[in-house]
Amino acid sequence: MLALQLLVDGIINGCVLGTISISFTLIYSTTRMFHVAHAGVFTLGAYFVWTFVQAGVPGPVAVVLGVACCMAVGAAIQRYFYQPLAARNATPLVVMIASLGLLAIIENGIAAVYSQNVLTFSEWWGKAVVPVGGLPITGAQILSVVMGLGAYAFLRVLSQRTLLGRKIRAVASNPFLAEIAQVKPKLVYIWVYAIGSMIVCLPSALIAAEFGLRPYNGLLYLINASIAMIASGLGSITGAFVVSILLAVLQNLSLLIVPSQWSIGVTFILFILLMLFRPRGLFAPAR
Amino acid sequence: MDFFLSYIILAEIYILLALSTNLLVGITGIFSVSQAAVFGVGAYVCSSLTLNEGWPFGVALLAAIVCCVVINVLLSLPSLRVSGDYFIVTSFGIQFLCTAVFENWSSATGGTSGLPGIPTPQIFGLHTEEPAYFVWMSTFALIIGCLCFQLVLRSPFGRLLGAIREDEIAVAAIGRNVLRGKINAAALSGAYSGVAGSLYGAFLSFIDPSSFDMQASILLVSMVVVGGARTMAGSIIGPAFLIGLPQLLAFVNISSSIAGPLRQLVYGVLLVVFMLFRPSGLAGKRL
Amino acid sequence: MAYVVVDGISVRFGGLQALDSCSFSIKEGEITCLVGPNGAGKTTIFNAVTGFLKPDAGTVRFRDRLITGLKPQAIVRAGIARTFQNLRLFTEMSVLDNLMLALPEQFGEEPLTAIFRPIRTQKLGRERGRVAERALAETGLTARAHDLVRNLSYGEQKMLSIARVLATGADLLLLDEPASGLDAEALDGAMALLRRLQAEGKTLLVVEHNTRVVQRIADTVMFLHQGRLLAQGSPDEITRDPHLTEIYFGGVLG
Repeated sequence: MLALQLLVDGIINGCVLGTISISFTLIYSTTRMFHVAHAGVFTLGAYFVWTFVQAGVPGPVAVVLGVACCMAVGAAIQRYFYQPLAARNATPLVVMIASLGLLAIIENGIAAVYSQNVLTFSEWWGKAVVPVGGLPITGAQILSVVMGLGAYAFLRVLSQRTLLGRKIRAVASNPFLAEIAQVKPKLVYIWVYAIGSMIVCLPSALIAAEFGLRPYNGLLYLINASIAMIASGLGSITGAFVVSILLAVLQNLSLLIVPSQWSIGVTFILFILLMLFRPRGLFAPAR
Repeated sequence: MDFFLSYIILAEIYILLALSTNLLVGITGIFSVSQAAVFGVGAYVCSSLTLNEGWPFGVALLAAIVCCVVINVLLSLPSLRVSGDYFIVTSFGIQFLCTAVFENWSSATGGTSGLPGIPTPQIFGLHTEEPAYFVWMSTFALIIGCLCFQLVLRSPFGRLLGAIREDEIAVAAIGRNVLRGKINAAALSGAYSGVAGSLYGAFLSFIDPSSFDMQASILLVSMVVVGGARTMAGSIIGPAFLIGLPQLLAFVNISSSIAGPLRQLVYGVLLVVFMLFRPSGLAGKRL
Repeated sequence: MAYVVVDGISVRFGGLQALDSCSFSIKEGEITCLVGPNGAGKTTIFNAVTGFLKPDAGTVRFRDRLITGLKPQAIVRAGIARTFQNLRLFTEMSVLDNLMLALPEQFGEEPLTAIFRPIRTQKLGRERGRVAERALAETGLTARAHDLVRNLSYGEQKMLSIARVLATGADLLLLDEPASGLDAEALDGAMALLRRLQAEGKTLLVVEHNTRVVQRIADTVMFLHQGRLLAQGSPDEITRDPHLTEIYFGGVLG
């Protein structure tokens, strides 16, 4: 019974992790830029929503406003941060260090303004328990699944059915050719950052509602999400989502034998093993 | 006077760390964000051997160096197999994992409350409790460290590391062994961290995980970047400046709860500004 | 005796058959030119011979020694070195350092020897430096020895890439388009250099598009098409074959 509960919890956590992972995969697979500061945007999302709620805005509206703010932040990061770096012919190492710096600015900026203490939402209905098939499922968990599947479906439709999605795929496969074909890669990159940042606001707000807001937690979530992305073989949104669920299930089941403070170790050892034996990802053909 | 001497000693310890980070990140181009973790391993190994086992400082120092060399080589092994962006994830993961070990392996590390009462070393019958004596020891270590660094930079080994940073494929194409070069760089960098960690524990006589966390790793990268990568002068100027900075901030009247985040915020700003406008730092070479 | 024997090499990239059981041999002391339309698999042959790519099938023998599966650095030590189309020079280093890096058997390439035997490292380094200077003189770059590579002209960089394979001491040199992008004067210099290298006993395998260059330097021409060796013969034989000309120029013009 405990195992079953952990399994179900794992799948549900996987939906949250998966949402972060696909938002990051969208950015990474298009721009090939390991956007470390995405962890900062993630953290920022929850603080936006919290601030709007404190100002008296009703919850759902606050979430929509938070999403919009994140979108603006993401677009601004690409336009006013990465593009100037690219214009200066910065090497990947330089861009990476700059991105790490931006993350430090966002996180510590938040800590300076909102303090390092854990903040909570005063009203949160997510803890209410709804028994589903004998298992106590909370409102937050139902919301997680809805959010995860919704974000996944949104990105699939965006990428397969829309003009923007076609442009994104063109730029991802060959920015140079895409430019010749009158697709403006710079503009597409801005859109990709905006959409990725927009999506990541949702899991951020949900995690904050459940566990409170902390300024320095983003990176840990981002690393888990990028482990799922890499393990899936990079670039595929479906792969990243599925592996996220798999990873979260393994993490949860490991709680049966390993105390929770070591779960980062479990994830990490899984990752190292994978890198040693399947360095091209789970879904890549073996070579 | 003691205040000034402690500044000198701390700066000297961080210069050794900056040399260690410079070797790996600046010269060899392996972007490691887990150097503070290796520093921590050195500090914990040496401190607990002198504190709990009563080992003489010199022997414990050697043990710490050996541990750091081994750990750093093991940690950099993934970078030999996976490249660039994958290694970032590994490196972040290693940092989180080591922090988890420092915080949770209480019997050896004292957990979050740290290890108090680390004995100060006795050299030629002189107790180095007095900063005035300790400073001789740390200065001696620093001179040896700088000398070795300079010898390495000018040797075929240093040239090989620079070539690895520029183009690994070209290095293999002219018959050099990339793998061995990277392992050697990691080992040497680990040795520096081992010395720095041992001195750090012995000087402060107290260590806790907060000195070796992600923020500390970011600080180390900032030191190298601000001073300037790929040169010894850079690795001296960076720490000398950044270790002085908190002392300056202490004169500004701000509450201690936001002093920490504010300090880290400044490091983040420095990272971004230097990467945007002067990637070679104050006294470094093109990164 | 066959110097290099490539036997049935096949390489697949996803759905693309880059090399399709390609076989050929190279005679010692000759300049062999590898020609063919774009995408024929010329660079893939280079990658397979020098160990940058593990072929799906087939073997490469060099001086009767099986070298398939060896790491690139081991193949350089066995005596085969290559250049790259995009040169891959170390642009942040001096010209001389680029060559010093390529010299075999270096003392002080380990941290312990570099730190504990500094005098010997310096002394042997200077001695090795003379070998590098010979490669510089050969390619006419002596005056630029201490300049950063990124400040060199394209033609000079191209010469440096050849000097660098010379410095490795390899006997078989694989040159990827050594003449492309050079002006008339530099082109003559490059061709004279290749001839001189041949006279010194090196064996050369050269990828080249410029048919005029091929005519003037090649002892043997190998024509590659769609991953297969279509023909092998003297430059005259190859250029006179109307079928090959059609493939070659048809590919370019049509």
